[in-house]
Amino acid sequence: MSKKSRKLIRSTPTEPVVEVEASAPEPVEERSFYFLADVEPVRVDERELHQEMKLWRHGRATRTIGQALQDGYVMIFTIVVLGAMITSAVLKAQTGMAGCDTEACASGRLLLPSAMVLACFGLALGVSRMFGPVLASAAEGFWLMDAPISRRRLLRARMRLPIIVALLVAGLATALVSALSGLSWWQVLAWSLAAGIGSAALVAFAASEQPLERTRVVKLLQGVFAAGALALLLVVVAVGAGWLPVAVVADAGQGLWVMVGLAVLAAVALVVLLGLATSRLEQIRRARLLSGGSLVSGMQGAMFALDFGLIRDILVERRMAEKGHVKPTRGRGLGLSALIWRDVERLKRSPGAFVGLAVSLFVPYAADALRMSQLNPMISGLALVAGLVPFLGSLRVITRTGGLARSFPFKTTQLRMAAMVVPAALALVWGVLATPAFIGIAQTGVDRSIGDGFIAALVTAVAGLLGAVRWVTAKKVDFGTPMMATESGAMPPTLIFNLFRGFDMVALITAPLILQAPAYWSLAIAAVVFVALRGSFNMEEMKAEQEAQQKALAAAKAEKQLEKQKIPRPSR
Amino acid sequence: MARKTPVLKVTNLKKAFGPVVIVDGFNLEVAAGEAVALTGRNGAGKSTVLRCLIGADRADDGTVEVNGVPVRETDPQIRRDVATVIDDLDFFPDLSVVEHLDLLARAHGIPDADGAVDEVLHEVQLVPQSGQLPGTLSSGQRRRLALATAFIRPRKLLILDEPEQRLDTEGVAWLAARLVAERQRGLAIVMASHEPSLVEQVATRVVRLGDRAEVLADE
Repeated sequence: MSKKSRKLIRSTPTEPVVEVEASAPEPVEERSFYFLADVEPVRVDERELHQEMKLWRHGRATRTIGQALQDGYVMIFTIVVLGAMITSAVLKAQTGMAGCDTEACASGRLLLPSAMVLACFGLALGVSRMFGPVLASAAEGFWLMDAPISRRRLLRARMRLPIIVALLVAGLATALVSALSGLSWWQVLAWSLAAGIGSAALVAFAASEQPLERTRVVKLLQGVFAAGALALLLVVVAVGAGWLPVAVVADAGQGLWVMVGLAVLAAVALVVLLGLATSRLEQIRRARLLSGGSLVSGMQGAMFALDFGLIRDILVERRMAEKGHVKPTRGRGLGLSALIWRDVERLKRSPGAFVGLAVSLFVPYAADALRMSQLNPMISGLALVAGLVPFLGSLRVITRTGGLARSFPFKTTQLRMAAMVVPAALALVWGVLATPAFIGIAQTGVDRSIGDGFIAALVTAVAGLLGAVRWVTAKKVDFGTPMMATESGAMPPTLIFNLFRGFDMVALITAPLILQAPAYWSLAIAAVVFVALRGSFNMEEMKAEQEAQQKALAAAKAEKQLEKQKIPRPSR
Repeated sequence: MARKTPVLKVTNLKKAFGPVVIVDGFNLEVAAGEAVALTGRNGAGKSTVLRCLIGADRADDGTVEVNGVPVRETDPQIRRDVATVIDDLDFFPDLSVVEHLDLLARAHGIPDADGAVDEVLHEVQLVPQSGQLPGTLSSGQRRRLALATAFIRPRKLLILDEPEQRLDTEGVAWLAARLVAERQRGLAIVMASHEPSLVEQVATRVVRLGDRAEVLADE
């Protein structure tokens, strides 16, 4: 404390000044308070409560459905036209594929829709586990769950919603894949019903486990279905490439009855599990309901800005909060190497990320087997973007806020490059392992020489890495910038680019390979992209630097002016 | 006696958000071993000034220098010299408490990182939480971790925005003692605070901000 302050404190009178209390009484503002009447509350019917909520919500609406349709007529018209075009294309493709009798068609006809069924099952369980599947918003949880009402009656209707969504989405997606693979319409119906009803039953199963807070069986089933779907896809590729004889694939006609049986079984399971889940709803904890609700609201917010990075952040935070505790590991090295070593340690901590990378390695082989060698770099590059994003966690955290980056004694460029080392090494390994697919080892024969194949694989790996870096480091949408006028209202220009971030880099880098230009063009573009991404063109920062330089220049000029001051000649 | 060379020198700092001028003509010099407390009511501009001091926000006018070097947030020299605890500190979601401190210590080139981490961890009383991930820490524990990240690394200037926030009474007392010790060891400190006891114990100078915000929209 300074001497002046001490002096001030010493000089302050210690005795209370009584006059102040007596002479200046504070005016007391009169208030009236509300107290709840001392009577027994009336029993509330949950149905009435729902009606009341519906009434409030309708009361808050500012536009009718008719007005909303009127405003968005261009969009609706576009959707109708596009829908008609897609339906026509699907019908045409179904007719065309039904006549195809090659090995690839035969294996695809049975296995692709079956893989889709298993993928739908896995996805239904995964999404259910993530969100609940029964959920409530924070507001509902705050005041509704405290009320003396039956949770079973209140939440029963809400539980039906995810089940219906699973039924429709899984059914429609499988119908699309089945039709495109050339199944007959009866077969399409059987496969769709199996996928839709099966997914709905699995959501009901997850709902029945939710009140008991058990996830082990749900996780296990999810893993089994995902692995099954992947295995079926591998068989499709293997048959298409000629690595497996077509005889291993049974006739799709035999699969029809299996699917019908599955659908019937799933329908019975759905009824039983729905009853079980409803009976257990009374036991559901409020915290378990709200976590799903808060996740939905967080993701909704991120979706409005099309910020998929933020959605991933929310999911990662949630997963880590569930994990809670880890066995700490000791770091190694000093300076930047400590950051790189920590990323190596991270690999051990999240082995699940390698599954995604392994799946992305399967893509170039599948593209080669399915005779898409020309487009292989782009398709595989996009798959690699998805595979590498989980390994770029530290880069994401360093770039999303300045606080953490400020704690490290390095330039932002150095920090970014250190955070890219481990993913770059993984991308290189991926490129080496994917080289045979780019040379061409499927039945269709050799596509490229060994050298060209290796370079194509390398370019794809670099494109995937830089695409993932771009995806992870992209800035949030700035709603403070001048907006663009669109049919859907005012929109910041960067919002649209958020949809394509990452994919734009892959397209740019692999374009010369696809257009059969020399590979060094791709490498040159990759080098430019790398330079841009490692420092990320920060306009604010550049502007600040420019201003600082201008100030320094002005100061130097002023100094020179002083030096150059003319000394007046002595007058005679 | 010769005046000490200032660690932090702020000249004619001006910052406005649109038409609202938050600070204008703000000057400050802080020498080694000095602690300056910025006080004032909510919205007086304490956090804004601190953000300008570390380069997180760009001042509209004026200069900020640390050891004679103009402040730029991305300058490694500034990052090496200035330790900050302001609201935008983020944590790696997959690294535990002890791993955060270990990483920072090693990144700053501390040779006995393990020893330093143990010491700071005991001091901030986060030993039982050392293996916990940041997402599961309470708000007070997160604050202690944020303070620990500032104390684990070498620094010449410490900038703190309401460091007492979410700390219990015992925590505030510890923080005051720690900051006094830091100051006595020759560290320059600038902090914004609403805690009179902390300001009284730590600060060698108090700068009261406020009543400066002017709406110029009508001009």
